[in-house]
Amino acid sequence: MEALLTMTGSDYSRQMVTTRNDAAADEATWIRQAQQADTRAFESLYRLHVDKVYGLCLRMTGNVSEAEDCTQEAFILAWDKLAKFRGDSAFSTWLHRIAVNAVLGRIRKSKRERDRIQAVADIQPPRMATGDTGEMRDLAAAVDRLPEGARHVFVLHGVYGYSHDEAAEMLGIASGTSKAQMHRARRLLAQQLEEQDFES
Amino acid sequence: MNFDDKLDQAARQLATEITPERDLWPGIEQAIRTPRRRMPWFAQAAAVVLLVGASSSVTYLAVKDSSGPAVSVSPELVFERAAFGAEYHLGPGFQAARNSLRSQLDAELDRLSSEAQQDVQSNLEVIHTAIIEINTALAQEPDSVLLQQKLLRAYREELALLRRVGGLTRNVMIRNDI
Repeated sequence: MEALLTMTGSDYSRQMVTTRNDAAADEATWIRQAQQADTRAFESLYRLHVDKVYGLCLRMTGNVSEAEDCTQEAFILAWDKLAKFRGDSAFSTWLHRIAVNAVLGRIRKSKRERDRIQAVADIQPPRMATGDTGEMRDLAAAVDRLPEGARHVFVLHGVYGYSHDEAAEMLGIASGTSKAQMHRARRLLAQQLEEQDFES
Repeated sequence: MNFDDKLDQAARQLATEITPERDLWPGIEQAIRTPRRRMPWFAQAAAVVLLVGASSSVTYLAVKDSSGPAVSVSPELVFERAAFGAEYHLGPGFQAARNSLRSQLDAELDRLSSEAQQDVQSNLEVIHTAIIEINTALAQEPDSVLLQQKLLRAYREELALLRRVGGLTRNVMIRNDI
């Protein structure tokens, strides 16, 4: 502890780089072990990435229960597909794609299921614990109210920074459609937020 | 800076990593340790047809036989017989709250508009259908933690809906009293 207290800024930087490298090494090891059906290693991967996956699911669904289900489904799908992961992309990106598929899969299931999601959304608390505060909370609530297509594109492109080509591929739509949905999302958010002095 | 630029900047500041309110690992672990056994597609289709048909018939009869605007929404309890595994049980407090809310519901529901009553009926049916389906799956996989959690959540959603209806009827009563 004393060593930590007397550490200089550059010491911290080195320490952080080392920590990141260690985490990357751990992740690569856990992936290899999980590919050999090691559930403990897969749990480590879950612990490392669950916040990222749940965050994406929550932003896309706007509903705690659905986000929990989608997160579980995403990790179960990831376990099933893990042997096919070759490391062509970052593991977190690969997981994100699976999570998007899990969300879209649930939405496609049936009209009745969508009705259930709506019914459940109606009885959810107005805002989930996302860590957003103040103006960000207003924006997050406005994003939740966007129509499905516009919300998905806004979350992937606007919040997570995927390109329109990447977002379109994940959502199974054309890149032009992604751009159009983003334009629609901006217009709808402007309408929603102008009453809340978002621009001030 | 125009609105779009400000919006883009704000969007990038939204939290992208959010910690779930509960540990989701037990359900995942259960699922990946147990080989998935799915009902054949034709059995699933038949179950869905039967459930939708039964649900529609009950709704039709309830509406047809009612002389006034009130619609009975108390479902048959046989729909909700839980097939829990060893890990989860509905506590007596939960059961008592549920029974109490249910008994109040029929008495208070006619304070709502017929449209609101239909909405309540529809939402309860959706939740009850989910409970039936989860129970059906639990009968095949009684130790599935994932299914047990889903069933518990469905019961909680039902309770929340019943409470919400209770709040609505109380508001109507207050307005009428005034």
